[in-house]
Amino acid sequence: MSKYSDDPAWSDIVPLPQDDGGPNPLAAIAYKDEYSEAMSYLRAVMAENEMSERVLGLTEHIISMNPAHYTVWLYRAKCLFTLSSDLKAEIAWLNPTALKHLKNYQIWHHRQTIIEKLDSADGEVTFISSMLEADSKNYHVWSYRQWLVRRFDLWHEGELEAVEGMLKEDVRNNSAWNHRWFVVFGNEKMEGVDDGVLEREMDYAKAAIYMTPQNQSPWNYLRGLLRYAKLPASTLKEFALEFASPEKPDEVHSSHALDLLADIYAEEENKKEAEKALDLLAKRFDPIRANYWNYRKSLLELPAAAS
Amino acid sequence: MAAKRAETFFPLVAGDESKLNHSRHINYWRRCLKTYLPYQYTSNDSNRMSLAFFIVSALDVLGNLETGITPGEREGYINWIYHCQHPEGGFRAFPATDFGELRNENNKAWDPANVPATFFALLMLAIFGDDLERVKRRECLEWLTRMQRPDGSFGETIGENGRIEGGNDIRFGYTGTGIRWILRGSVEGPVDGVSDINVDKLVECIRISETYDGGISEARFHEAHAGFTFCAISALSFLDRLPLPTSPNNDRVRGLSNLPLTLHWLASRQTATLDDDDAYDTNKDGTNSSATCHDADSFAKLSGFPPKNSESSYKGQPTSQFETQWTGMNGRCNKIADTCYAFWVTGSLATLNHLPIIDRPALRRYLLDKVQHLVGGFGKMPGDPPDLYHSYLGLATMAILDEPGLKSFDAPLCMSNDARKHLESLSWRRKIVGIRDGDEAEIAASSRVEIAKPDGMQVEHEASSDRSHLTLSGG
Ligand SMILES: [Zn+2]
Repeated sequence: MSKYSDDPAWSDIVPLPQDDGGPNPLAAIAYKDEYSEAMSYLRAVMAENEMSERVLGLTEHIISMNPAHYTVWLYRAKCLFTLSSDLKAEIAWLNPTALKHLKNYQIWHHRQTIIEKLDSADGEVTFISSMLEADSKNYHVWSYRQWLVRRFDLWHEGELEAVEGMLKEDVRNNSAWNHRWFVVFGNEKMEGVDDGVLEREMDYAKAAIYMTPQNQSPWNYLRGLLRYAKLPASTLKEFALEFASPEKPDEVHSSHALDLLADIYAEEENKKEAEKALDLLAKRFDPIRANYWNYRKSLLELPAAAS
Repeated sequence: MAAKRAETFFPLVAGDESKLNHSRHINYWRRCLKTYLPYQYTSNDSNRMSLAFFIVSALDVLGNLETGITPGEREGYINWIYHCQHPEGGFRAFPATDFGELRNENNKAWDPANVPATFFALLMLAIFGDDLERVKRRECLEWLTRMQRPDGSFGETIGENGRIEGGNDIRFGYTGTGIRWILRGSVEGPVDGVSDINVDKLVECIRISETYDGGISEARFHEAHAGFTFCAISALSFLDRLPLPTSPNNDRVRGLSNLPLTLHWLASRQTATLDDDDAYDTNKDGTNSSATCHDADSFAKLSGFPPKNSESSYKGQPTSQFETQWTGMNGRCNKIADTCYAFWVTGSLATLNHLPIIDRPALRRYLLDKVQHLVGGFGKMPGDPPDLYHSYLGLATMAILDEPGLKSFDAPLCMSNDARKHLESLSWRRKIVGIRDGDEAEIAASSRVEIAKPDGMQVEHEASSDRSHLTLSGG
């Protein structure tokens, strides 16, 4: 029954049990014997710095039970490099393991270490796509994707098209919108973006807003572009008025348009209209945030310099 | 020490039926303290120090820690924490990496001290009323400086050849600056010959993690996320580098380059989308056009497009009251509510002194009616069983919302103000912070983030000054 103590291949190892420090351990877990035993063997081989095939098997076993064990991954990586193991096989093992532990972060760090050593992004984009199919907003996957794009200079290798595909699937996927921002503005080797790109991005966000006016992601994106370009909010006045106007409270198509209009009127020092827009938000179109809109109203009383 | 509130049995809102089931929560946490956690927690074995912190701090916030354990048990728990202290400073996150007598130069890379665990261990010692005299404070602070990368960010552990391991992730900046605040306040520069971390670099790191929509992400260009936003704001608070309303004579680099935008982002987290069924199918049913605006929580329902299955209950209700009865917090734009984000958002706003911009009663009702569990604790989403993480952060949110019967709470330290005051009373710490008593007082006076408060405004200040963490002076 015991995986290690009954196995002749491990008979030379004296397992090192866990010392839980006296009679009152905190957050003690009812470990299964399988875990306790494997961990005792792990401590024993780690203490000796053993680098071997059987260590790879043992770390894999531990990872299946506790993928968040931070040094077992480092130990495994060192072992792989010391034994000159087949790193492509490691990636092949990692693929299903990552799918099994979607929320685990250490797996991605390890993957980065291995891919760095392989010095090749072959197959990575395909793998990422399959991960995003399982969980299209997985934070670790998107973070890893950014690393990959930077590390292997994939800026112009279909990233923008890939994002567009994902936004076509779900125009409310904020992770995809954020990745779009990264693809457009994140390349440090470029010195800013030109007006053509800015215009293209504005048009893209506007098109998404026409499709889903109450979707905050493209509104945030659009207003981010404005700030990036240091343009006043009023640049978007006509556009915002297509979706809402404080004068037509029965024809409001987007609370985010009202929010933007409130800023535009404040910018124009048209306090009355700004108040109207914020009142509509507080009372009718976004009462969840009534306190916030009222707070914004109170800011209109302050001298402009304070805001 | 602030006593427990007297008004325990008075509901927060007249006629409000929602109640924190105080005794069930105590039962839940006492079970966690005194019996083994189920084996499913094995995947969290490496986070035992944080699990322990949740248990100990929850009982403290519930006012049950002192009465619920014997002096002998208290001693034993404190000894367990010290048992996890690392020989070179800091604490292990779990005892499992300890080689005991077999530890040597060749294998020590597999048994490092851990930054978040060290923060939680120190907090727990404070909660237990320990004096931290057995903490290797000098070694810990020296180790901390080695945890910072040239770009200003912090790692999680030190690996082989002094390599900083762990992601480039503001959680480590938060817990790292928390350790620094606990052991040396917000005094800058060397203390007792131990050099300081590079504060400016870390602040810069946070500034470039601000996103185009006003939130903060784990690292530059990553997506805005409420958890990372809390970590960043708390770190700035520990460092006394939050923005000032006006900053005369102050040339230090500060975080949050656009406070109004960050407040907008935080307020946007409140949502009536509480589970997957509430989320609208956005583009496959033809309803998602400018004519229908069918795709958001509050607005879509209010403008005449309630989901079909709730239409009958919707009719005849005063719209706004119905829609805002229960609202939770999401962690990112267009995601659904989750208990833990209630904490990350309210904690951020409390530290920024802007808690009143959200709908606190509706959030309270969400926590109590939707995710509070019958056996005590909180689940992640409606119907979910409780787990330590969501149970603690749910309870912490209730404390931030000033729930009667809970101790008052310090958001950045994520524990009771009682425990914080104990820390600040320790003589060795007073000596470090007190050396520059004058400076500290000045910092405290100038660092408060002012909430605009013109006449007629509904947003009120948090009443008691001890809830404002921005005053970091040793008192
Ligand atoms: Zn959660």
